[in-house]
Amino acid sequence: MFKQFTENISGNQVYLIFSLGIFLVFFIVVTIVLIRIRKQHVDHMSSLPLQDGISSLPNINHYEA
Amino acid sequence: MQPENFYYDNKIVRNFGIATVIWGIIGMTVGLIVAIQLYHPGMNMGNQYTTYGRIRPLHTNAVIFAFVGNAIFMGVYYSLQRLLKARMFSDVLSKIHFWVWQLIIVSAVITLPLGLTTSHEYAELEWPIDIAITLIWVVFGINMFGTIFKRRERHLYVAIWFYIATFVTIAVLHIVNSFELPVSAWKSYYVYAGVQDALVQWWYGHNAVAFFLTTPYLGMMYYFLPKMANRPIYSYKLSILHFWALIFIYIWAGPHHLLYTTLPGWAQSLGVAFSVMLIAPSWGGMINGLLTLRGAWDKVRDDVVLKFMVVGLTAYGMATFEGPMLSLKQVNGIAHFSDWIIAHVHVGALGWNGFLTFAILYWLIPRIYKTELFSKKLASFHFWIGTLGILFYAIPMYWAGFTQSLMLKEFTPEGMLKYPNFLETTLQILPMHMMRSAGGAMYLLGVIVMAYNLAKTMLKGSLVANEAAQAMPLAPVHTIAKEAAWHRRLERRPIQLMIAALLVILIGTFVELMPTLTISSNIPTIASVKPYTPLELQGRDLYIREGCSNCHSQTVRPFRSETERYGEYSKAGEFVYDHPFLWGSKRTGPDLAREGGKYGDAWHYNHLMDPRLMSPGSIMPNYDWLLSQTLDTSLTAGKINAMRKLGVPYALGYEKIANHDLDMQAKKISDDLAKDHIKVKSNKEVIAIIAYLQRLGTDIKANKTATNN
Repeated sequence: MFKQFTENISGNQVYLIFSLGIFLVFFIVVTIVLIRIRKQHVDHMSSLPLQDGISSLPNINHYEA
Repeated sequence: MQPENFYYDNKIVRNFGIATVIWGIIGMTVGLIVAIQLYHPGMNMGNQYTTYGRIRPLHTNAVIFAFVGNAIFMGVYYSLQRLLKARMFSDVLSKIHFWVWQLIIVSAVITLPLGLTTSHEYAELEWPIDIAITLIWVVFGINMFGTIFKRRERHLYVAIWFYIATFVTIAVLHIVNSFELPVSAWKSYYVYAGVQDALVQWWYGHNAVAFFLTTPYLGMMYYFLPKMANRPIYSYKLSILHFWALIFIYIWAGPHHLLYTTLPGWAQSLGVAFSVMLIAPSWGGMINGLLTLRGAWDKVRDDVVLKFMVVGLTAYGMATFEGPMLSLKQVNGIAHFSDWIIAHVHVGALGWNGFLTFAILYWLIPRIYKTELFSKKLASFHFWIGTLGILFYAIPMYWAGFTQSLMLKEFTPEGMLKYPNFLETTLQILPMHMMRSAGGAMYLLGVIVMAYNLAKTMLKGSLVANEAAQAMPLAPVHTIAKEAAWHRRLERRPIQLMIAALLVILIGTFVELMPTLTISSNIPTIASVKPYTPLELQGRDLYIREGCSNCHSQTVRPFRSETERYGEYSKAGEFVYDHPFLWGSKRTGPDLAREGGKYGDAWHYNHLMDPRLMSPGSIMPNYDWLLSQTLDTSLTAGKINAMRKLGVPYALGYEKIANHDLDMQAKKISDDLAKDHIKVKSNKEVIAIIAYLQRLGTDIKANKTATNN
């Protein structure tokens, strides 16, 4: 099935191989970066949305910078 | 170090929220009107300002830039402050951003029905509004980066990267796709022509979907979904992969909108290859969202907000599976120009953008009003009527798309087109269009119920305009240990992050656009193709004003079913003087690329007056005002000058005699009409548009052997 699609793409096979190559290189680089990230940091980052810093002080309606 | 006290600005969030709901109702109502116009031409209301060609762009602009746009700013202004532990950089900039954005939308609501349009899809607004959009985008950027610079959280959460990528890419897209040469205050020509213009437009059009309808919403998903489910995102690492892969790949995919056109084959192939790859990051993001709910699925049963999120994410998954599939040439050959595409975009727009927006509104409004939602039952009703609305919308449109496409391609055993009259296929799918508008009405009803529910919620509570917060200030950078992983360093350097994102999107942009824009052999010229006469040029501008390209394409694809029906397939060289290109993206009516000479002038005159006179059952609106309105020739010289500046070879000084030539040609057409007992003055608009229609596609017939290159 895939052969049918690749053969029907006009122009040059080079573009297919070129784009696949770019994608692979990009994917591998990002994967290496991901592997090197430490768990501690990941836990900190993923907890950010859950801590919004709301304080117990009263809210105000008029704000002056 | 002492913790610092500060306040989050909730008022700006509330304002964008209200604008989202109001513009949503307006944009969807216009959508419902145009949907009904497609089976009941009377809904065009008999005047030029409410005809399909003019208000279909109003619908798309209103839902994309007004409904979704305001929702983006609502979500960004809420989440950015909390993720950075800082108030927005400037309240004044926030207010300017809000009010000028609404003003831009109002200007669209006024200018589009007036027929002031550039004809580029999703970029129809004329050049003065383009400049206003640029300025307000800069204001948004300053406000966002100003907030980032004064933050109290060192590392930028993934949602913020998506916001940064949105900001920088939309800026690039908008500027490159707005290179226009003004002719007057409300008229301009694109500097690109034909194939090049088409490529720029669909590089823009596709990435407007990517970076306006997708990346900001993914950022919002990564913030709001963990809040709603009260648990962190399933995999933060996956979100990093998702981000870089998505913005890298998306930018290449635009040419899949131009398959089988005269765009160079290699550019089409590149677009297809990257479109297929796009499924990986898209599904990665969807899976990351859905798996965040692992262990919390029991909550989905009770919580309407999570229900909206789950259906929204599922719709995203369906649309992003379908997208790569549609980009395969075999599938595209059937789907393109048909209702299938309308179904596809509405699964994304109604499901993904709509449902995520509703979920965020239902979650956020009670919180900033410190109260409970007025009615959970009404919200649940909204969820069900909205979901059913999407199904009633999409399924008939898929059906209509398949049916019409296959009918148009069908041959008899003798080798003749089985349905030579395009109208036959249109009439076949009208019941599906009726069902579609019922689906749209259900969806709109849900939104109106939501508006009531949210208004009641607001009245019940009171707005916490400035919410008190507390956080530790950032320690100076030299006090933190050197970080080994460079990505972690990148996460605390917003400008470097922006530049990295910019570089990533520029790679695809350059590889894709530059060869077609700079290498002339990519656009073989044809000697017999000549510039338009002044009358045809004016007629072409009327064609643009009336939005004819919303229903009629102007490019014949190299399929036997199309060359039999319309004539010879289109060549790149035929469009070199087309500023802008008018290929269209949907065939509600037949293609017009080879319309010239097919019918007499009288046929066109009667057809424009009342299409049903010539084609009983036609759903095209009447264009009777073209018969009575006088053609404005005051700009002819300016238009000729502008075209010459853009490279169209009009002789120097021709602008001085252009109106004379225009009168001569118009006189000839009115004389011709008089032979058929049609009395019309030669200075009426209808004469110009007939001149243009009769010219379409005739140049290569004149001299078939004169091709060079």
